[in-house]
Amino acid sequence: MDGGKFFGAFRASSGITDVVVLNHVPVGCNWGAAIFKTTSNQFDMRHACTVMHEREIVFGGEDALREALIRADDLYDTPLLLVIAGDAPLIIGDDVEAVVNSVTLDAEVVWMEAAGFKGSMMDGYEEALLRMAGLMKESETIEDSVNLIGFSPDDFKVDADVKEIKRLLRDAGIEVNSVISKCSLEEFRRAPAAELNVVLGQGTLLAEQMKKEFGLPYLKMDYPYGLDGTSHFVGAISDDLGIGHEPEFDIEPFKRVYLYLHELYGTPVSVIGDFHAEAMANFLDGELGFNVEVLSGNEDDYFEFEEDVRNSNTTILFGSSFEQNIAETLNIPLIRFCYPVFDNVCVYDDAPYAGYRGAVCLTEAIINTVMSYGGMK
Amino acid sequence: MRKFCMYGKGGIGKSTIVSNIAAALAENGDTIMVMGCDPKSDMTRNLIGKRIPTVLDVFRSKGPDTMEAEDVVFKGFGGVYCIEAGGPEPGVGCAGRGVITAVDMIDRLGVFNDIEPDTVIYDVLGDVVCGGFAMPLRQGLAEDVYIVTTCDPMAIYAANNICKGIQRFANRSAVTLGGIIYNGRSVVDEPSIIDGFAERLGTKVMGRVPMSLLVPRAELRRKTVIEYAPDSEIADTFRALATAICENKDRVMPEPLSDDELDGINEKIEVLLKEREETGSNPVGDV
Repeated sequence: MDGGKFFGAFRASSGITDVVVLNHVPVGCNWGAAIFKTTSNQFDMRHACTVMHEREIVFGGEDALREALIRADDLYDTPLLLVIAGDAPLIIGDDVEAVVNSVTLDAEVVWMEAAGFKGSMMDGYEEALLRMAGLMKESETIEDSVNLIGFSPDDFKVDADVKEIKRLLRDAGIEVNSVISKCSLEEFRRAPAAELNVVLGQGTLLAEQMKKEFGLPYLKMDYPYGLDGTSHFVGAISDDLGIGHEPEFDIEPFKRVYLYLHELYGTPVSVIGDFHAEAMANFLDGELGFNVEVLSGNEDDYFEFEEDVRNSNTTILFGSSFEQNIAETLNIPLIRFCYPVFDNVCVYDDAPYAGYRGAVCLTEAIINTVMSYGGMK
Repeated sequence: MRKFCMYGKGGIGKSTIVSNIAAALAENGDTIMVMGCDPKSDMTRNLIGKRIPTVLDVFRSKGPDTMEAEDVVFKGFGGVYCIEAGGPEPGVGCAGRGVITAVDMIDRLGVFNDIEPDTVIYDVLGDVVCGGFAMPLRQGLAEDVYIVTTCDPMAIYAANNICKGIQRFANRSAVTLGGIIYNGRSVVDEPSIIDGFAERLGTKVMGRVPMSLLVPRAELRRKTVIEYAPDSEIADTFRALATAICENKDRVMPEPLSDDELDGINEKIEVLLKEREETGSNPVGDV
């Protein structure tokens, strides 16, 4: 299931953590985008909206946008306003560029068009980052440093995952320069200082652009789930940078639950999600020995996925909060790992799903979910 | 309550016909209401003598909660209640949504219940370019549609498109085609062509409005011909048309023509045009 271009643009934009996003949309689109973001970070309310009503649809939303720009500039102490025009203004043909050019503000403005009907969530993410690429400035290269591209501020476990990936890379002698899009404006601006861009699932267009403009090479990697996945991730990056680090991991925690893992060997499961899904499936079948029966991406037909899961032997479902219904219907547990998760919170930033620690946490979550699942008693 | 709407290509004479029909019906002492659903907002000008604030003007300036019926309903010649939907400036916003909003506002203000008109006539922008302009075809707003056309290929094409719109909504509401109104004000004036067109649609020509210099004269003075020249032949034509429409019970679901059939009509018109060029004669009927 795909949220469409507007959601992708909003997620990329709101990842710049000290600027304000101004959504030029009716209230529902704004609410939808915000609600997924605020589940785990309820004070992060850095976004404004033109709140288009019927009047704006009939007469055009340009006046409302102009007023909102002026008011947002006045109300927020922000160096940058990221304006995202969604479906309604683009259907009626609001001239966003002309409005932005007609006002003089303290804040810098970057605007983008992201109608949900014009593309996928990933398209919105990619294009938003491209629009923001102009904010970057040539910086002196920091040796053995990388940018991580592909994150969104409302990814499940994002804080913990980023922290774990940074820790692992630091152990390998690699500094993380910028995490896109989960960073301050200053961090985003200085992204060209890295020696390498690491693209995790999305953000390739930005990486291409940075390669062209700053000569910065990039490496496309799977999201680092599991021990093998993480070792490969750290190893490939360190090889690319010529560091030659040999990743090491500790299997002690897994020994403690060996008997459970042994029992779970061959468990039929299904996985659905964005680019995280395939990496998760690799961990589940490659490392835990589960049988992945159905694997579905955002671009796949959701109804087909539901049908396939129903017709499979799936006993654990891995996905987002959207899969709650099907899990309930099939009376099987759901492990949430992928956007959007709005019925679980992630407060503790030391319990990741990515990296070595993430492999432990995930394994723990899976075993606990299975052991405590009421429906299986 | 008799409710019908008038459709047709832009500039075809819909507003002239609607305002004159309304004035003619009002002469009988009936309570008549007309609503212009065209961003141009000038249908009621000939009934009132000036432009009136539109529903969307008031909606924009006062907002939906404080506007009142008195802000948007005005009495014109013969006591005809006049409403203009209005619309955005050219090039911005969404005129189609504007029609929906305006009709919705009129409904919310309870105008129909308060005034209880005997007849309501909607005058709708020519080509049904989007869902908004099909609004009067939906929700039982009108019982039947009358399409104004001249003997020009583009006008006939637009009329055929409107029939497609009627057909589309047939399954959802009870709107039907009441008939065709032939406006003789065109380069080629050949009533038999429109008779044939109507027949193929499965309907009939309700009336024929001949070209008359009295119409532009009256409009120059911002009047209907019913008011400006009540004893004229053209005024009687509008009276007869008004009666025919009000009493019409012959409503059909149109069978829109295929492109090939439309081409056939175009060829006939072309032949007439050539004849006119060759003979130097004017194929226009009685002027």
